Amino acid sequence: MKKAKTAVALSLAAALIVGMAGCGPANTSSSTSGKAGKSSTDLNVMSETEVESLDPQIATDGTSFEVIADYMDGLMQMDSSGKTVQAIAQSYEVSADGKTYTFHLRKDVKWSNGDPVTAADFVFGWQRAVDPANASEYAYMLSDIGQVKNAQEIIDKKADKSTLGVTAVDDYTLKVELNVPVSFFPSLMYFPTYYPMNEKFFKSCNGKYGTSPSTTLSNGAFILDSYEPAATSFHLKKNDKYYDASRIKLSGLNYQVIKDSQQALMSYQTNTLDTTLLNGDQVDQVKNDPTFKSVGAGCLWYIAPNMSAVPALANQDLRLAMTFALNRESITKDVLKDGSTPTYTAVPPQFATSPDGKDFSADQKKYSDFCADDAAKAKSYYEKAKKELNANSFKFKLVVDADDAPQKVAQVVKEQLEKTLPGMTIDLVIEPKKQRVEDMQDGKFEIGLTRWGPDYADPMTYLSMWVTKNSNNYGLWSDADYDTIIKRCSSGDLCTKPTDRWNAMYDAEKIVLQQAAIYPLYTQCNVEMVSAKVKGIAYHPIALNRVFKDAEKTS
Amino acid sequence: MKKYALKRILLSLFTLLVILLVLFILMQLMPGSPFNDEKLNAEQKANLYAKYGLDQPVIVQFFRYVGHMLTGDFGVSYNISKNTPISQLIQTRLPISIGIGGMAVAIGAIVGLVLGIISAIWHDTFVDTIATIISVIGVSVPSYVFALALSYSFGFRLRWFPMLFTAKQMFSSSVLPSIALSMFTMASIARFTRSEMLEVLGSEYMLLAESKGLSGPALIFRHALRNALIPIITVLAPLIVDLMTGSLVVEKIFAIPGVGSLLVTAIQSNDYNVVIALSFIYSAMYIGIMLIVDILYGIIDPRIRLAKKEGAA
Repeated sequence: MKKAKTAVALSLAAALIVGMAGCGPANTSSSTSGKAGKSSTDLNVMSETEVESLDPQIATDGTSFEVIADYMDGLMQMDSSGKTVQAIAQSYEVSADGKTYTFHLRKDVKWSNGDPVTAADFVFGWQRAVDPANASEYAYMLSDIGQVKNAQEIIDKKADKSTLGVTAVDDYTLKVELNVPVSFFPSLMYFPTYYPMNEKFFKSCNGKYGTSPSTTLSNGAFILDSYEPAATSFHLKKNDKYYDASRIKLSGLNYQVIKDSQQALMSYQTNTLDTTLLNGDQVDQVKNDPTFKSVGAGCLWYIAPNMSAVPALANQDLRLAMTFALNRESITKDVLKDGSTPTYTAVPPQFATSPDGKDFSADQKKYSDFCADDAAKAKSYYEKAKKELNANSFKFKLVVDADDAPQKVAQVVKEQLEKTLPGMTIDLVIEPKKQRVEDMQDGKFEIGLTRWGPDYADPMTYLSMWVTKNSNNYGLWSDADYDTIIKRCSSGDLCTKPTDRWNAMYDAEKIVLQQAAIYPLYTQCNVEMVSAKVKGIAYHPIALNRVFKDAEKTS
Repeated sequence: MKKYALKRILLSLFTLLVILLVLFILMQLMPGSPFNDEKLNAEQKANLYAKYGLDQPVIVQFFRYVGHMLTGDFGVSYNISKNTPISQLIQTRLPISIGIGGMAVAIGAIVGLVLGIISAIWHDTFVDTIATIISVIGVSVPSYVFALALSYSFGFRLRWFPMLFTAKQMFSSSVLPSIALSMFTMASIARFTRSEMLEVLGSEYMLLAESKGLSGPALIFRHALRNALIPIITVLAPLIVDLMTGSLVVEKIFAIPGVGSLLVTAIQSNDYNVVIALSFIYSAMYIGIMLIVDILYGIIDPRIRLAKKEGAA
């Protein structure tokens, strides 16, 4: 028997070795291979999510926008400080009434198939954006925000897409007609929804546009050379025929999608990545690393009370008590620790600059009479509210996203409210983000922790949210004076008076805070690691979060 | 045997159709819609519903879906990769998942069998204790913990293997995820093999075989293992399916462009068509594996085959 055992053991060991060596996965052909050669100056970039769409008129998410802008230019672009500067348009004129823009295109811009980029490409692209058959989710960039003539009518199927207020006067002149003057219109031009599309090429793709390098056309800094739908890694190479090619120092961009932030950090530390985004939880691990960077994301996190469904929350004193009871300093310093800043305004700082170049929300103490970290004031408003409502205890459900940071913040918000306002109980309801948004839009919530990122460089990207019946006015708050101001600023008499408009927007913001229609919490920062070998990556809170046109890497 | 196999196949096809119907109804009942971005307004939502035919009655949608599916058209993705045909999304991902899953099954089954046989032969010894400890750890620790531990030790510290999956280094970057995935299978197989082998080894026919003068590998493999194999195959089948679900998290950690990570993203973003297509494929694989197991029983154990024949006659 002993001999038998030895023989068995030996043969089993042999089987084990053969088994482990012999079974590799099927060698599938895949176009996702990166080309990160050691001597090249390809930048190895991490992305948190896959690209949702490379069709500029269909894309809606930050990653897609960033990648599209890697290989495509619009009429305008952002400089490193976020200012709007010329790209394909070398100049533009605005008519005296502010309703007609004429863009003059550069004549040396070529698509990567050799075709010139012409005004007709913009007309085709913009028409696609509002065509109901495409059902573009960002069609409102042209209608609500850009106020391009007939955009809304086309979306509502009341007019043909050919009636859109954009015409190619000649190959290099593009005329745009607007319903009302939009002072920030040129800044919308770097938004990919407004990018051009080569009609002939698009049609030759037979509906497969943007699903592979051969169905994608570049007119920008890089050319997509390996990609497949929802790829976890893909590559772009420098476009030598780019009209501004001398500006581009990188030989290419090598994207790697990593959803696990710990893996991302380790990949960065082993130099597989040159730059990566981290999770707020990891700040403690990297805060002493000189390559750690906190980058403003421009997103405002705030709490929305549901004033229409919860009778107690219709009481303004109770709402003010709650907003004063929050300790925003502690939330950003002790909980988030990622550089996020406490915010006491309805429009967060650092994305909208006034006609004379000042940040709209630079002064965070402007409304300290209505919004501050002030437990004493909270208590006095609370006593008033208790008398008015004839109640001593309140119980609310706070709905929050199932992600790490919001859950941690909600936990602290709960503790702060319950401690400062005795008798108040907050129960947390944790839901996946999409579900949370839907519930809030349907009014099925009591209090919600939510956020909003700016879509364009104007305070209106926030303020338009709280007009009566807007789908993102979750609390169904309504104030006639507020609605009037917003209307005057977005389509009324103030459109042509930038300074008055600016002041009127402050008045509107004051009403929101005075009535505690929302409780602002903090402006989000992202934690980025950028290798010492790399410089020149531009970070922006709007539209294009990262731009690599000026990035350099020393090898 | 043929009749038996045919019956099993037909039953499997019917089950698949029922699964598809249930999936479809479940998706309709699920709260939320694929288009609930906070920046969408009512008209745009209506346009999106019209574009994808989601404004039609459920029953119309179902028959249209089945009709398209029979021609291999699983529809397009709504969110993950907008307007991309799902067949295109899956065709490059499925081989990667199956490759890694297959590697994990092979490692798990072989190592598990070896561990099980060793601890059965030398049961209640030091070797047995070690093997048992390994299996207990393997069964109780989830695969993503192994994934993180392997990635940290062999990827980050020792740098023997890449931490992230790359198509260029297909084999070396598949090693860590495969091992992480195989742990549970390995441990389960080891435990079952051990107990089955112990039972068989203690049986009278083994005593008879040994007393007839048989010894060595012939005794173990021909008589003991073959008899122990039936229950092992029964547990191996669902384990293979467990591998697919386990791969959901492991794929995320190693950034593997497989179907598991795709399914997770699809569920999170209500991408109906992707969820239905992938759940259907998972079900088809499960049923397919069960079918193979049923037929394998007949081949490995003539008693099952004969019993069926007699029952049918």
